[in-house]
Amino acid sequence: MMVQPVGIAIERVSKSFGAMQALADIDVQVKAGEFLSLIGPSGCGKTTLLKCVAGLLPVDAGRIVIGSRSVSGPGGHEASLVFQDFALLPWATARENAEFGLLLRGAPAAERAAAARHALAKVGLAGSFEEAYPSQLSGGMQQRVGLARALAVNPQVLLMDEPFASIDEQTRRILQDDLLRLWSEERKTVVLVTHSMEEAIYLSDRVVVLSPRPGRVHRVLDVPLARPREKLDVRASGEFARLVDELWQILKKMQ
Amino acid sequence: MTPRLTPEPAFGRAGLAAVAGLLIVWEVLGRLQLTIFIPSASTVAAAWWELLANGTLLRSASSSLLSLAKGFVPAAVLGIALGLAMGRFRTLREVLDGWINALMSAPLSALVPVLIALFGVRDTVVAATVFLFSFFVIVVNTMTGVRGTERSLVEMARSYGAGEAALFARIYLPAALPAILLGLRLGAVQAVKGMVVGEMLISLVGFGERLIYYGNTFLIPELYAVIVSVLIIALLSATLVQACERALVRWK
Amino acid sequence: MKRLAARGAPLAAFLALWQWAAWLPISFNFPTPWQTAVALTELLGSGALLQASATSLQSLALGFGAAITIGVPLGLLMGMVRGLGRVARVYLDLLIALPSAALIPLVILSFGINIFSSAVIIFVFSAPFITMNAYGGVRDTRPRLVEMARAFGASWGKLFTRIVLPSALPMILAGLRLGLSRAFLGLIVAELLLSPFGLGKLIMNSRSMFEHDKMFAAVLWTLILSGAALYALARAEAHLLKWRA
Repeated sequence: MMVQPVGIAIERVSKSFGAMQALADIDVQVKAGEFLSLIGPSGCGKTTLLKCVAGLLPVDAGRIVIGSRSVSGPGGHEASLVFQDFALLPWATARENAEFGLLLRGAPAAERAAAARHALAKVGLAGSFEEAYPSQLSGGMQQRVGLARALAVNPQVLLMDEPFASIDEQTRRILQDDLLRLWSEERKTVVLVTHSMEEAIYLSDRVVVLSPRPGRVHRVLDVPLARPREKLDVRASGEFARLVDELWQILKKMQ
Repeated sequence: MTPRLTPEPAFGRAGLAAVAGLLIVWEVLGRLQLTIFIPSASTVAAAWWELLANGTLLRSASSSLLSLAKGFVPAAVLGIALGLAMGRFRTLREVLDGWINALMSAPLSALVPVLIALFGVRDTVVAATVFLFSFFVIVVNTMTGVRGTERSLVEMARSYGAGEAALFARIYLPAALPAILLGLRLGAVQAVKGMVVGEMLISLVGFGERLIYYGNTFLIPELYAVIVSVLIIALLSATLVQACERALVRWK
Repeated sequence: MKRLAARGAPLAAFLALWQWAAWLPISFNFPTPWQTAVALTELLGSGALLQASATSLQSLALGFGAAITIGVPLGLLMGMVRGLGRVARVYLDLLIALPSAALIPLVILSFGINIFSSAVIIFVFSAPFITMNAYGGVRDTRPRLVEMARAFGASWGKLFTRIVLPSALPMILAGLRLGLSRAFLGLIVAELLLSPFGLGKLIMNSRSMFEHDKMFAAVLWTLILSGAALYALARAEAHLLKWRA
């Protein structure tokens, strides 16, 4: 049932939209099972890069390889996407939303329902929540559904586009811890786009800083904080503060 | 609230091309003489010109437009007033909302015989029909506009000591203005429809009477000419309101 | 209970106004609410009202049915094929602005005075609105949902059935409600003008025979009938869209 995580090779990727170059010569090697964050000022192309990895946008130069497969379009089975605005179908229940990825892959109904229920339970939405509609759920719960949907298809890679940006801070911290817990139970390769320095340091093994348009890899920061971070009081440590400040100094110089 | 697509007279390049295409097809079909019920566009244009020259169109227009004004102006004034009141005062809204919505979607044409019983076979019936057709649309849109006013703006004004009159003049009215103008635009189109329905049913004056007459006498190019005239009036009314919209709501 | 009383207040006010209007010397043979109610029961009892309703509803079913069958798919197509949508939209805008009643004499001339003409008139009154709403529904599909579905590997077919169609449903249903309201409008105008059958005939006959109480009763019945049909549609809509906030 569990799958092995795979690495992502982003090799000399460039991407332009007409005359505007969004990404220039990006080269990043994501290790299998690693938690990597992408951060940078507005317009640095971090979301564009994530969409290229997901296959939603074609690259103009270079290539992206997930595991052993070169990315040529969306719908690959290795990676799952989680969206900032949740992207849930408003007319479907939480369970139906969680089933959506499996539905598109042609899984039979019974199997879909079971997998969806299992995924919802993992993200903490078992029971009566399954039959609720998104309009009846809070932002945090909706994102849990989004996460469940991504997990239900058993991906080896999780791609997250500012998943907690639309959520209040208290709920966000809870979700971050839940994410770390899930990640430690079922190791996947995670690429997370964020604009929060704290979030990047708290969650990741490494943080890739992109420079503003055209986006280039400006710096790669190692985050050697001990794990499991959700169990240790990492945010209170001096090391954490130092790393956040280091990241801030890097970003500040780019403004 | 009925979600409705705002009818933007989409007269960009695509619009002109589409209309031109239609005229060409119409002309061709007419020339082919498939049926006497489809005269060519040029024949209709000629008939239209003739009707204009001999004063028929102007006679009908003066009567129709007068009825239109007599019906639409009260509908606008009363409609906006009621809409503002209903938007502002919850009790009033809860009492009337259901009825207004029900009347808006009712076949108001069924009431024309009642109007005839009330006023006799006179042009007042037309003005009354125009009123009925446009009133409810204006009320509903105005009310929606007022209800959509941002709560924070009202609270801000209150905090600076604004009373009821000032709130209406400085907050609710400007905030609701786009919606009010949309209601007036939709109402104008509805008003023209009411005008035609009323006139056709009393068959006495205006464009409606001409429609019945040319229909009865098989004068088909003339019939088309009147249809086109009525369409032009409807479009002009909508455009007129849209021009007011643009002048008044520059901050959008 | 208080709510009910408040809601009924406008009705009571209206009835009072009506009664007062009937007493005025200007209105010739203006029936009172009571007289109308009596006439209504008479007409129902004699079967005249039901027979007229059946005929009218036949035309309505034909015309409105055609409007849905053609209008919804056309609107969906317009939304999916950009070029088609941009051009066809202009024609629809014109049809929506045009007072459809103006086309009635032309329809009658072309097709005669029969149920088919009535159906065509009803079609002309309602189809443009239904089409426009279906078109708008497709156009308003949230791009994010399309992106999400693509990310999970949806094909074009799946995108249409699983994203576009459910997304457009609220507007399509609103269009049906609007279309039905317009259909009744067209039905009544057509029948008042054509007269050979249906509720319109009943209304006009009663008027020419100066049986104003019967005429009012027929008008009232027409409003009740259309109100009931629209209410039923609104209930169906609410049921289908129970996922809304």
